[in-house]
Amino acid sequence: MSTPSPIPPPNDRRSSRASSNAGPPSSNLNVPSEPSDLLVVGGPPSSPSPLALRASNSPSSKRRKSRAAKVPPDVHMLEYVSACDSNLVCLICHSPFDRPVKLPCEHYFCRECVDHAWDAQQEDLRSCPTCRTKVDPQKDLSPVPRIIETMLDELVVKCPNTKTGCDWVDQRVNVHDHVMLYCEYTLVECPSTDCRLPISQKDFHKGCLHSTVSCEHCHASLMKKDLEVGSVMSICPNRSTNCPHCFIELLRLDLKPHVKDVCPMVSIPCSGAIVGCKVTAERIEVEEHEKTCPMATMAPFFREQQARVERSEARLDPLSRKIGILEDGLTNITSMLYPANGNDSSFPVTNPLDPNSSEAFPPASLMPTPDFRLPPASFPPVPQSSDTTQAQPPFDSQVHHLLTLHESLRDEVSRVSNALTELEGRTSMTIMNENQRVKEDMLHTNAAINGMRMQLHWLMSATLQQRSASAAGSSTARAGSSTGPSASGSGTQGASSRASATFRAPIRRLSDSTRQDVKL
Amino acid sequence: MALPKRIIKETERLMNEPVPGISAVPHEDNLRYFDVTIDGPSQSPYEGGLFKLELFLPDDYPMTPPKIRFLTKIYHPNIDRLGRICLDVLKSNWSPALQIRTILLSIQALLGAPNPDDPLANDVAQKWKEDQNAAIETARQWTQEHAKP
Repeated sequence: MSTPSPIPPPNDRRSSRASSNAGPPSSNLNVPSEPSDLLVVGGPPSSPSPLALRASNSPSSKRRKSRAAKVPPDVHMLEYVSACDSNLVCLICHSPFDRPVKLPCEHYFCRECVDHAWDAQQEDLRSCPTCRTKVDPQKDLSPVPRIIETMLDELVVKCPNTKTGCDWVDQRVNVHDHVMLYCEYTLVECPSTDCRLPISQKDFHKGCLHSTVSCEHCHASLMKKDLEVGSVMSICPNRSTNCPHCFIELLRLDLKPHVKDVCPMVSIPCSGAIVGCKVTAERIEVEEHEKTCPMATMAPFFREQQARVERSEARLDPLSRKIGILEDGLTNITSMLYPANGNDSSFPVTNPLDPNSSEAFPPASLMPTPDFRLPPASFPPVPQSSDTTQAQPPFDSQVHHLLTLHESLRDEVSRVSNALTELEGRTSMTIMNENQRVKEDMLHTNAAINGMRMQLHWLMSATLQQRSASAAGSSTARAGSSTGPSASGSGTQGASSRASATFRAPIRRLSDSTRQDVKL
Repeated sequence: MALPKRIIKETERLMNEPVPGISAVPHEDNLRYFDVTIDGPSQSPYEGGLFKLELFLPDDYPMTPPKIRFLTKIYHPNIDRLGRICLDVLKSNWSPALQIRTILLSIQALLGAPNPDDPLANDVAQKWKEDQNAAIETARQWTQEHAKP
């Protein structure tokens, strides 16, 4: 496989083309091959002269010039017709080898792939991507066996321009020559001097096609080179085409309505299908069939009925919503009028504002207690309704009803205030009685306390007297024992007994006196 | 940027011949980003768990390794809290001859054979060395807790 020739820099290209052009470009001349019915909207920047075009049409100059702009095919991007033997696939790019090399460990890689892999590694750490054997790229690479190269060359590939229309399929070894020399669909640079856009090689001789034109049929504006392409033929809606079913010729934009409503060869279902007819045939046959099909005759009625049902259902929806809103409003009004019964679910079963509904107010005779919920029982203005006539409506009008209700409320309030006064009187009586009793109790307690105080006083004075007497006794006893040790036995006995009393006394008095000190 | 042919081929092969216990599905909007799931290998504390990972192929893949991270919490001495994996072939020992499926197989093997001597999660590795049975029990618990399918 030959190395692709590098593309010369743009400056070179332009200068070479300028020198090869026979004469100076004349901007007013159109390309001769252009059809006269095409409206040129924007002319090319500079059209080549007919001379130049003729020159470029000669095979030698065409090949020479176009080769300069062509891009060689990328082997890695090629599409293979059949799956390749996995032994011929590079482990790095997963494509069949392109210019393979052999490493000392007998592993093969594309030259480009292994170079890329080593670019990422350090200079002295380069190794085989498969087995990590150390490799010196300078001397360890060797060519692969000839047979492998041959096998690779014989792989069958498609032309890289398959997408733009080339159907060339051949061995891989030929693809470079095909793309660079023969393929009509290889993109080359526009022949115009100033236009740098690419164009297929087959259109090269037509001059610059990179001007905007409008389609003669549908007036859509598009590039002239696209107009040339056959695909435009199948897009433009104003081109005539053939119906795929009945092969009648008509404009493309009429094709859809024709197939939908007119074409006799299109297969359609019988119009009785909504009732259950299963016949599906070409339009002519279906028309014949519908004349005899009972379901087809019924179909229009069914369709009408269905439409009516749908309309009714559509109307039902807002109505039910409206009812819901009204019901809500009613509940609000009711709860406003009867706040005490807001939580009584049994109450608003019938409309209380309806004077003809006697069920709203139960018969008074059954409910003797004047209750808020039973207005007739406590209503003086309507005595006849109190116990005799139960079926008769209790109120003449809503105003009357409200007035009686108000009256009953007033009654209720006065009754409550009476009860309140009574309760108050009773409470004050009770309080007074209690007070009396408590006062007497306090007098008793006071008397008792006075008695206690008297007793305490008497006890205190007695204790004080005893203390002073014992103090005097002990001092005389001490004087007696120190002056005469030979005192009489009875005297000693009496002294010792007194002394023991004094010994006991101070202990008791000590605590007493301290307590008294604290109190004082 | 056009997707290299190798990535397209690898994706096709992963779809058509999936590795048992491993699935890798590319995102629709970014064909270099894969949602990966790996079954915990049998006879390991991760058995019965389904581990989610994310895999991204950098621009110069296959010359540089893919970027892989565990999304599921896992108790493993070579996988840290953030799910990063300590595996030589994901770093210095990467080779362009490796591919997505081989790398995922390596990760599955790493689950089966934890290596506490080259830890990424130091605390886990410490536990693993001190009391291997307790560590394995923790790994099993974590699998039950976080990696239920």
